[in-house]
Amino acid sequence: MNRSELMGVFLSEAEELLQLLEIEILKLEQQGESPDIIQNIFRIAHTLKGSSAAMGFEEMKQLTHEMETIFDKIRNQLLPVTQQVVDLLFECLDHLNGLKREIEQEGITKTPIDAIVHQLRQLEQNAEPEGKLLEEKQPKCQKYLCKVRLSEHCEMKLPRAHIVLHHLKQWGSVISSEPELDSVIEEANLNEFFFVIQTNADSDALQHSLSQLRDVEDAEVVPFSYESAAGAFVPWSDVNQDAEPGNSLPNQGRKEEKKIGQTIRVDVEHLDSIMNLVGELVIDQTRIAQVGNMLRDRYASDEMLDDLEHISNHFSRVVGELQEFVMKTRMLPVERLFNRFPRMVRDLGRALNKEVNLLLEGKETELDRTVIEEISDPLIHLIRNAIDHGIEEAEVRKQLGKSRKGTIKIRASHQENQVVLTVEDDGAGINAENVKESAIRKQLITAQEAEMMSEQELIQLIFLPGFSTARSVSEISGRGVGMDIVRNHIEKLNGFIDVETRLGEGTKFTIKLPLTLAILRGLLIKSQETTFALPMNNVIEIVRIPRKKIYSVKGKAVVKIREQILPLIGLHDLFRSSCRNSQTKHACIVVVGLAEKRLGLVVEELIGSQEIVVKSIGSYIGQVEGVSGATILGDGSVALILDVTGVFKLAQNLPSIESEAMNDVV
Amino acid sequence: MEASQQDQYIVIELGAEKYALKISEVYEIIKMQTITAVPNSKTFLEGVTNIRGKIVPIISLRKRFHLGATSVTHNARIVVVNHNGEMIGIVVDGVHQVVQFSDIQPSTDIVSEVDGSFFQGIGQSEDGLIGILHLEHVLAG
Repeated sequence: MNRSELMGVFLSEAEELLQLLEIEILKLEQQGESPDIIQNIFRIAHTLKGSSAAMGFEEMKQLTHEMETIFDKIRNQLLPVTQQVVDLLFECLDHLNGLKREIEQEGITKTPIDAIVHQLRQLEQNAEPEGKLLEEKQPKCQKYLCKVRLSEHCEMKLPRAHIVLHHLKQWGSVISSEPELDSVIEEANLNEFFFVIQTNADSDALQHSLSQLRDVEDAEVVPFSYESAAGAFVPWSDVNQDAEPGNSLPNQGRKEEKKIGQTIRVDVEHLDSIMNLVGELVIDQTRIAQVGNMLRDRYASDEMLDDLEHISNHFSRVVGELQEFVMKTRMLPVERLFNRFPRMVRDLGRALNKEVNLLLEGKETELDRTVIEEISDPLIHLIRNAIDHGIEEAEVRKQLGKSRKGTIKIRASHQENQVVLTVEDDGAGINAENVKESAIRKQLITAQEAEMMSEQELIQLIFLPGFSTARSVSEISGRGVGMDIVRNHIEKLNGFIDVETRLGEGTKFTIKLPLTLAILRGLLIKSQETTFALPMNNVIEIVRIPRKKIYSVKGKAVVKIREQILPLIGLHDLFRSSCRNSQTKHACIVVVGLAEKRLGLVVEELIGSQEIVVKSIGSYIGQVEGVSGATILGDGSVALILDVTGVFKLAQNLPSIESEAMNDVV
Repeated sequence: MEASQQDQYIVIELGAEKYALKISEVYEIIKMQTITAVPNSKTFLEGVTNIRGKIVPIISLRKRFHLGATSVTHNARIVVVNHNGEMIGIVVDGVHQVVQFSDIQPSTDIVSEVDGSFFQGIGQSEDGLIGILHLEHVLAG
């Protein structure tokens, strides 16, 4: 391994460690000092120190070393975890991130760290007397082993056990349970269970309160030690080995560690090249199938063709599987992205003096890594907006009868072939009237237009360029470049964004994204000898209707399909290519959808659907409205991929169809 | 070796006119193949084509020089050039030999019909005078 390879490994490791460190420090701030968290932080800082020393990054090593000293003090209870300490730790973290960036970009570190080291040292010196004071005041936390036996008549033992667990959580932090309640399936045998709890309460009081619970026949609380546990916790031996004395891993930690299998780090560029090659194979596979069909037409009785067909079929199966696995290797859990949010929310909340609780759900949802990269900015923007504009200040919330703390919930989940991300807050919601006023003031719409719009339509105005309701421009959001950029970003990824809002109750943004950007299912359509591909997830339905059923309203062609009136547009009109009169009696209409918008595309011929490999048409041509890229078809020719967002825009800007063109559509 | 290669030019044909392209700027020369039109873009852009799995934009030198269109003959070629690391194909009526110029004069306005800024000089060889294309200017716009 040469230096640059080592550097790559170091940087990706450092990135991961810094992210972990951030999570742990956040936990430290929220949950207070617990030996597990401190231990984790200590370990991370130590690893980082080791690897930066090995790579010769003196500043990074020194800073992590100083941090380690602080953590050591905290661990030995010589230093209480105050807000000041946490803030300083975050500052250190930012410094480390800065150093990492410098290493990434220039290979050396430049920023001096003397100031921050000095601060750390000062903190360290102040530590001892204060720490001791605290120790005297606070009774030391102790671990207890609680043995709970349920009565035999208890009907629902598992729920009862959960109630006990819940009760215990009020007393202190429950470190472990045996059996693990989440994994219990057979509840009939669940008569007796154990919890390890860390609390500063008196053991007798705890025992008393436990035995007061319903269906609890007997409860026993004894100081926890490995000896006392040994009898009850036979299956625990693995934990005993892992943990250092006096430090058993918390439940969750155990689970996470189990999940990690054997992995290797792979350069992202390699993955991209593999994906490209697989794309080539997909194209070749369709070509082979096509040539096979042509040969079949020519030499119908040749036996060799059966062999070719066999091989071709097998080949396409293998390529299909290969494609699937390559896609899987490119997938990352959104956790990578989500991990950045807690810190951001904390900082923003403090800057704006708002209390915010962040809930993250569906961390394990997997997404293509390019999608993850691209979606990060829009999500950050939505969260900023939610904190800045959505969530009210604590006092205001209290007056409104809401809890002081606002909640932001970010959820990721799979739905069919898409990933759905939602950002939900329980703040003030979006006021349609304000949106209307602001849009009129900024001359995005006329007052007349505004009167015609429904509330939902008004809310949609926030996605217009140049729209921002905030009266004053703040550092956090509200520069008027907000939501339209978010939407553009998402639409570039073939996804779409929707907003639901209730005044006074909150706002929910829903983002739907395709699983991958590289290969998609497309509908091939033909018009004027030119083949286009339409992303299948934008196709709502395909209908054939007699041409006489197409009407003209205000110079625009419309059609009624299942009680819904749809605007129609000819594929060739979109790009102003010359058109010729079609003689067929029926028109083929592909109904495309974007969010709740619908549009009928009149096409000359449908070719079919197939997997298409998305390729860029390159920077020389640049952006073409209505076209998102190109793909190579089975015969080696190129087809353009239609971008439905652009198609809608083009359709809007199209002048009403003149009588001449009308003849063509109708 | 390096120096002599720099001095080599490929002579291309457009109707009756001949132009030269620096050989170091040319990536390859291929026969005419199917080109898919890309709408709403540069007027002289023919479209895109597939060269070994890559999507390559193709421009028409005739359209670029505002010369009338002719039917494509079997002599027509696509000259693939390297432009800022991207491959771009230029459709020409034909490709001639490789030449070396004994002298290169700065281009003046004498070049017929075609905008002078498309040329970086005029080369002199046994076959006469040939305008040397300024690739950057030809592709830009």
